[in-house]
Amino acid sequence: MTTGEPAVLERVLEQHRPRPGEQANILRTLLAVQQALGHVPPNAIGPLADALRVPEAHVAGVLSYYPDLHTTPRGRHVVRVCLGEACVANRSPRLLADLKRILGIGIGETTEDGQATLERVYCLGNCGVGPTVMVDETIYGRLSASDVQKLLMPNGA
Amino acid sequence: MVREGRGGHLKRLNLCMPITLYLANDTSARAAGADRLAAAWADVPDVHVVRTSSRGAFFLEPLVERDGPEGRVLWPRAKPDDLARIRNGAGGISLAEVPFLAQQQRAVFARFGTAQPLSLEEYRANGGWRGWERANNLPPEAIIAEMKSSGLRGRGGAAFPVWHKWEIARRTSADQKYVVANADEGDAGTYCDRMIMEGEPFRLIEGMLICAKAVGADRGYIYCRWEYPAAAATMQAAIAEVERTGMLTIDKHPFRLEVFRGAGSYVCGEETALLSSLEGGRGMVKVRPPYPAVAGLHGKPTVVSNVLTFGTVVEIMARGADWHAALGTVGSKGLIALQLGGRIRQPGLVEIPFGATLAEVLERFGGGMAEGSRFKAVQVGGPLGSLFPESQLHIPLCFDTFNEAGAVLGHGGIVVFDDQTDMVELARHYMTFTADESCGKCTPCRIGSVRARELLERIEGGSGTAGDLDLLADLGDTMKATSLCAHGGRAPYPILTAIEHFGDEFRRRLPSNGPNGTADRRGRNVP
Repeated sequence: MTTGEPAVLERVLEQHRPRPGEQANILRTLLAVQQALGHVPPNAIGPLADALRVPEAHVAGVLSYYPDLHTTPRGRHVVRVCLGEACVANRSPRLLADLKRILGIGIGETTEDGQATLERVYCLGNCGVGPTVMVDETIYGRLSASDVQKLLMPNGA
Repeated sequence: MVREGRGGHLKRLNLCMPITLYLANDTSARAAGADRLAAAWADVPDVHVVRTSSRGAFFLEPLVERDGPEGRVLWPRAKPDDLARIRNGAGGISLAEVPFLAQQQRAVFARFGTAQPLSLEEYRANGGWRGWERANNLPPEAIIAEMKSSGLRGRGGAAFPVWHKWEIARRTSADQKYVVANADEGDAGTYCDRMIMEGEPFRLIEGMLICAKAVGADRGYIYCRWEYPAAAATMQAAIAEVERTGMLTIDKHPFRLEVFRGAGSYVCGEETALLSSLEGGRGMVKVRPPYPAVAGLHGKPTVVSNVLTFGTVVEIMARGADWHAALGTVGSKGLIALQLGGRIRQPGLVEIPFGATLAEVLERFGGGMAEGSRFKAVQVGGPLGSLFPESQLHIPLCFDTFNEAGAVLGHGGIVVFDDQTDMVELARHYMTFTADESCGKCTPCRIGSVRARELLERIEGGSGTAGDLDLLADLGDTMKATSLCAHGGRAPYPILTAIEHFGDEFRRRLPSNGPNGTADRRGRNVP
């Protein structure tokens, strides 16, 4: 954890400590930590397990299970290409290949300048206007690779 | 296809008057450019833009609407400079001029495209909340009897009779019971649950209240996948609104309802995995029985139903069980929400009675293939659904016919592939998905999906052997027979149906495609 992160973590954990009669919720707590820190640093597992009074192994197990929980920092923007079948039918794998080339990274990787992380996702429910790309929390449809490149330009998105 | 607009629907309107334009606030409408229109017209004097739910005719989005003397007037695929035209009432078309919409028989989605999603007042004024008002005055047994005579089966994929699940939960005595909406709409090619949550969030709350009253639950959760940020935010706002008006109560006791966000696991759409996830753990599938209706969330009786199921419950309570039972076929009562996607000309939501054939749906609603594309195959029922070639499109869309064909309707997703689709690549894609998303509980799914993906990668790379297709068939048999949930049990179907119908494409990739390949065993595993 970097400077400042332990204090943020402590605040999040304080909110998720189970109250009497309540059960600890590891996933909800991990999501809150990720929301606050951008990712879940592996050395947050110990404090989190202590706060929820569960074994560290359980926390690590949940953390490694979910595709949307991350243990390393990610790019300033996260670009997700939909590989649901409706988007695949509309050539999203080609879009993904173009993006890999343009950004010079593979799936799950982040550009050297920390600008973008590239990911694949299985269906964003935007099948009526695919192929679909999600940039951070915004979903775009009917896109070509050059459209996505424009979105990623410093003054684009 | 959309016919040319005759225009002139607005001739009787005073053109100098301020105008109200309706624009959907649905994720797909926004992805198609609705926000750009709203932003472009935000500061135009005398133009008031109201954001509504979406009609689901996504090929028309961004779709702008105005009130006309005979109902709404539509301007499909609008651009910012179309404002002058829209103001003058030029070039708009009526709903009747869009066969995609006019030929549907909508109930759950009847009001979509007209109202503001978060206006409880509009929801009630347009007929919402009547289902709950009726249910609230009935004893639990009568609500369940209504569900029974309606013939409603779950719309999430398993098609289990709704009344039965409710009855088990009602009869199981416990100090705490739960109602959980499965909003983990993970099947690729489906989006009707997202549309309901974004477009008519009060409908889901109403359906959950009816269920909670019937089974005696006072807590509810909406398990919403992270891929649906707008749906989760809309549901949270809607819950707050119903709470604020004091209507989130059952027999004067509060009904505590929360949204819980998932974290990207497909298997969490399976009910036992969903409940494990809701408890905060790994989304692992559990052996049933006990069924969640007996011992679900935290070991307490829990009804888990899909969003569209709750949405349909509302309609049944408001219109009566007979209305529902009179629609559809003997074994598949009511309406089916089909979601068209892929290389189809008119992708979008189609709500019609069960029983239409696949060919009819693709032609009448899909409008045929996208420009310049030729049909190759269609997949029904999400990533675990079977592929159908052109020769099998006469199959009626209902639970029993699909069951007999070894296929599934799933959650109603229909994805069309064109002749540029490489079936070997597609099959490898399916198994990559299965391997990525396997929860790991059952060995045949956890290991088998990886081995199957490797076999398909080998064939795709041109280094497969004649025995590989046999191996895939055997592996498929094992996965089907020995997986606890549909993820492993159904995953072989798209691959085996691809090999069954497009076997030549696979065999061509094998370096030694001798006569003892799989031609004689083709289709062996596909009923």
